[in-house]
Amino acid sequence: MDVGFSMSNSAPGEEPPFELAKKVIQKFVQRQVFAETKDELALVLFGTDSTKNSLDKDDQYQNITVHRHLMVPDFELLEEIENQIHPESQQADWLDALVVCMDLLQTETKEKKCDRLNIVLLTDLNTEANSEQLDVIIENLKKAGITLQFFLPFPVGDDEEGGGDADGRDPSQPGTGKGLSKEQKSGLDMVKHIMLSLDEEDGLGEIYSFSKAIEQLCMFKRIEKRPMAWPCQLTIGSCLPIRIVGYKAVTEEKLKKTWTTVDAQTNQKDDVKRETVYCLDDDNETEVQKDDTIQGFRYGSDIVPFSKVDQDQMKYKHDGKVLLGCTWHLKQISDEVQRHQFMGTQVIKIFSAKDDEHAGVALSALIRALDELNMVAIVRYAYDRRSNPQVGAAFPCIKQDYECLMYVQLPFMEDLRQFTFPSLANNKKFTPSDTQLSAVDSLIDSMMLVEGDDQKDMFKVHHIPNPAFQRHFQCLHHRAVSPGTPLPPMEPWLKTALERPDVISERCHVPLEEIKRKFPLTEVEKKKKLKTSAQIFGKDSEEPDAKKEKGDEEEEYSLADIAEGSVTSVRIRGQLTRRIEQLLSNKNTHYYMKSITCIQAFREQSVKLGDANLYNGYLQSLKRSIPNRGLEVFWNLLVQDAITLISKDEVEGSTVSKNEANQFLVSEEKKEEASTPQAEDTGDVDDLLDMM
Amino acid sequence: MTKWVKLHNNNSGSLSLVGDYKTTGRDSLVFLVDASKEMFIKGEDGEPSNFDMTMQVVRSVYTSKIINSHRDLVALVFYGTEQSKNPRNSFKHVYVYHDLDEPGAKRVQDVDALRGGKGAQLAAKTMGSGETSLGDALWCCANLYSDIKLRLSQKRLMIFTCRDEPHGGDSVKDRQARTKASDLKETGVTIDLMHLMKPGGFNVASFFRDIVSPPEDESELGLQLEPCVKLEDLQKRVRAKEQRKRAMARLNLCLGEGINVAVGIYATAVTARKQAPVRLYRETNEPVRSKTRTFHTQTGSLLLPSEIKKAQVYSKKQIVMEKDEVDAIKKFDDPGMFLIGFKPMEKLKRHHHIRPAVFLYPEEDEVKGSACLFSALLTKCSERNVFALCRCIARRNYPPRFVALVPQKEEVDEGKVQITPPGFNVIYLPFADDIRTLDPPQCPVASQIQVDKMKEIVSKLRFKYRSDAFENPVIQQHYRNLEALALDMMAPEDMEDLIMPKVDQIDGRLGPLVEEFKDLVYPFNYNPDSKPAAKRKTAGTGGGAEKKPKVEMPEEELRAHMQNGTLGKLTVAVLKEACKQFGVRTTGTKKQELIDALTERLGS
Repeated sequence: MDVGFSMSNSAPGEEPPFELAKKVIQKFVQRQVFAETKDELALVLFGTDSTKNSLDKDDQYQNITVHRHLMVPDFELLEEIENQIHPESQQADWLDALVVCMDLLQTETKEKKCDRLNIVLLTDLNTEANSEQLDVIIENLKKAGITLQFFLPFPVGDDEEGGGDADGRDPSQPGTGKGLSKEQKSGLDMVKHIMLSLDEEDGLGEIYSFSKAIEQLCMFKRIEKRPMAWPCQLTIGSCLPIRIVGYKAVTEEKLKKTWTTVDAQTNQKDDVKRETVYCLDDDNETEVQKDDTIQGFRYGSDIVPFSKVDQDQMKYKHDGKVLLGCTWHLKQISDEVQRHQFMGTQVIKIFSAKDDEHAGVALSALIRALDELNMVAIVRYAYDRRSNPQVGAAFPCIKQDYECLMYVQLPFMEDLRQFTFPSLANNKKFTPSDTQLSAVDSLIDSMMLVEGDDQKDMFKVHHIPNPAFQRHFQCLHHRAVSPGTPLPPMEPWLKTALERPDVISERCHVPLEEIKRKFPLTEVEKKKKLKTSAQIFGKDSEEPDAKKEKGDEEEEYSLADIAEGSVTSVRIRGQLTRRIEQLLSNKNTHYYMKSITCIQAFREQSVKLGDANLYNGYLQSLKRSIPNRGLEVFWNLLVQDAITLISKDEVEGSTVSKNEANQFLVSEEKKEEASTPQAEDTGDVDDLLDMM
Repeated sequence: MTKWVKLHNNNSGSLSLVGDYKTTGRDSLVFLVDASKEMFIKGEDGEPSNFDMTMQVVRSVYTSKIINSHRDLVALVFYGTEQSKNPRNSFKHVYVYHDLDEPGAKRVQDVDALRGGKGAQLAAKTMGSGETSLGDALWCCANLYSDIKLRLSQKRLMIFTCRDEPHGGDSVKDRQARTKASDLKETGVTIDLMHLMKPGGFNVASFFRDIVSPPEDESELGLQLEPCVKLEDLQKRVRAKEQRKRAMARLNLCLGEGINVAVGIYATAVTARKQAPVRLYRETNEPVRSKTRTFHTQTGSLLLPSEIKKAQVYSKKQIVMEKDEVDAIKKFDDPGMFLIGFKPMEKLKRHHHIRPAVFLYPEEDEVKGSACLFSALLTKCSERNVFALCRCIARRNYPPRFVALVPQKEEVDEGKVQITPPGFNVIYLPFADDIRTLDPPQCPVASQIQVDKMKEIVSKLRFKYRSDAFENPVIQQHYRNLEALALDMMAPEDMEDLIMPKVDQIDGRLGPLVEEFKDLVYPFNYNPDSKPAAKRKTAGTGGGAEKKPKVEMPEEELRAHMQNGTLGKLTVAVLKEACKQFGVRTTGTKKQELIDALTERLGS
């Protein structure tokens, strides 16, 4: 990188080339660090006030500093770039710098095996370079197999090349091709000369402008995984095998690293330990050793003990052959296998086995036969003998340069839920009128995301990097280089990438207004909308909703279930109320929920024991204390869960009628207001506890 | 509540499995089955009786509940019986076979006992057929519901009968039944009629119209249904009603300019998995509970959520964040769908698949007018063969995904039963990260003759695909094992493995085609099980340097290969030799190039 004097010159309102060049390097290093590549990187600065390089001798190669030798980039380097690299006041010959770099690469890669050697030069070319050695340099570059990339503050004259005009169109480019100094002009000629001699065709493609580079580098590297070959056989019937190899082609990529839990004080993960203990469901919560437990499965209301050994012995087994099922039946593509029936999380591309041209011909015949008949193969797929077999479809796919089968999983009977929904077309209330339909028509017209005769796609989702990863790395990077500061806002380019393209937004404005007029939409005011904690607490709720993923629909939760689970152990009711009070003292949804569970358990126990008074008394006094303690939110949750008093119908001794029990919650809304002013009446916690 | 509980149940499941607040509580289902003599009449040609058919359906619902939602409550009640059995025995001719409870192994066995000829005998012995009072039967069912202390989210009652006038015109009993039915409906019970075939047709209008609940869409559709004749039809109809629609999420679909259509997202296909095991105490077989706690290694004290942070390590540097920051990073926007635009259907690539699709249907209850705009969008998208591209945040703190809304029109079968519901299928689209870069290997291309042979094979194997045709053998085997253990059976019930191709049948169908195809494609002695490295093949044809003389091939043979399009079966060496032989100058060394050159030369 050129840090010389001229790099900090800039037209008013423009960022100096130095800053831009620094950004390019930062972004690049960032990407490398987070992608955790093994690529090594060195940083050579030129135009520095001091000189530090191995070629420094007799006034030669002056003002060139090797800032960092070849090694894997890390945060240290990022911090150094951030804090230690400043514009300096000398100028150095960029060709000299290039030679220093070449020397560095040659000496430092001697012991290592490198796939590729590359030098990236960031400079404004504002120093006169000594072109005498140019041809020698080019020759050496060629010999050592070193590739070059130039990053300049200005775009390289496209007019001469007639090539890509991307840069030329951008009027915001600083000093677009004009006003270059004499040195810059001659420098540029030399650059072109070097690049073209290294690569006749695409040489100039490796010259970038700073701003363009920043644009491209602002994305974190997309997650790349080396495709793993899965060799096996595709068999038709019993005796027509074809050797194939499968590759995962599309699958939802996850971040490689997960969060570990660390102690808040020491930041040490070794300070935190998680353990799982098992205990009996008795009053003492007697702990039992894991070894003293066996596994069982639910069969409806029954639990069947079923040891792992038995399970393995009795489980479904399929032939050990690593064999991708068989093309056993085939069918019309278009109507029967529908896109929305695809299951699983991946698409596998299937080619014929490597080095087996006969298998290649056989598979090709199958692919082409399916394609010509417009059919797909329904196959049984087993990854190996340990994995669960699937049923799936293999579609023929013929591309210009290759052909393959594409495998997608299809549903099992057990996976399907045949929901019926009320008809929309047969319902007069919902049938749109002709004018309404034409409004939608023009909306679709205005919002088509394809343009031109060739239907060019304007919004390719599969070209957008996963925004979650981008944001994740952005925040990690921020925290790593500037700890102690709040997380940065989202990058503007990322926001834009997720938005409707501007052209569309402009075009659809009028049709949307029309839709607004034609289709009246009114939000339904619910008299008494049930609220969940999340809705009540909005964004402050402690647990993120995303975690709900963990939920399990097969499990139908009701309060009774939780009572069986985490809290029933607290059998003694006095203990329960104390616990409730304790929980309520933390004004937090999380704890409210727990208290409700406790109350529910309390209620159940009371019903079981046939003693309603203690519970009813407690709940009544709790209700009285709500306004003083500011527990309205909690009360709403209680009301929503319909936890009433225990009525006569449930427990004989209760003094509360069923009606009263129900009224207890219903009338609350009116009473609430009435009871607010009596704030000094401290029906406080202690009273409640004393009652017990 | 549901939501919160889910948070703390970290066992398993996936996104689509979460119900919403409206569904808190358990589902319940009462089978109210007519046990009159008419139900036991066998059909012509030994078709099962209506009663038998009903029992089969009840059994399949029991077992599917055990697999999919064992916490649901199910009851089986007979009416029109001679004997009576119900709590308090206050109703005559009503026989509660199973009261509302979770289905278990015993119950499945009980229902099994009522199937077939023996079942009919058993039914006659234990219950018999007698007078009918549907009113009493409904009343009895109402009591079943009110005896349940649990919170019920859905109450459904299905009447199975083949008698359209159960009381034979007794207007007092008719009226009583209507009153009881409306009482039930008032307490939130949905009453469905599963009417079965009877000679002379089933007239729904005469009596049952006032008994059953009106259909959801307030159309008359429900009443026009034909009675079920076949088991499959009945099964389908019961299943459609029995499975509870559960919205994963209710969101706004924003078109822009503040136009919000309320929609619900439904999971119509969820990968069924084997249940997670329950831990039991070895001595007593009682279930044990597990507690997971986080504590400090040194002090041993339990750690509160505020006392822990989250960290990741990159290039030896630990980056630490607060727990809520970790969540905040994932947040882009509030949940909702935002319309980006429309694209023609062909822009939806088949291989852009990362997750099972979900289904979108308007929620008129949330925003009035949603159904109409939704319907208009659906009509137009399907008419113009376009899909809508949306940005979708399914729930809070979920990062955005792009989805394609693919229109799906309503379809009904001959019996007016809905096969596909109207709405949009939501197809998740991959981001750049999700698409892997493959380097497709160079593979040879088959000749038309080879392709044609394969076409014959393919055509022989043609069948009609039905998505519900395949049972998951792993799950089925698992439950059969459990069933056998639970019921003390000697061995698990046999299971037909539906995904194992019927090899014999296929071989039979294909006949000599397979050999013919192999002759066209594979060399003699080709063994696909071995690792046929290049060596092996040359060994087969003669191997080594001495093979040189053998490489030459008589012209006739070569021509035959060419005509059959089997030149590809020859090795590159042979082809090269042949080129020399015929004085064909080729620049390429690739097989296809050699073949092309030879073909050109010999063909002319």
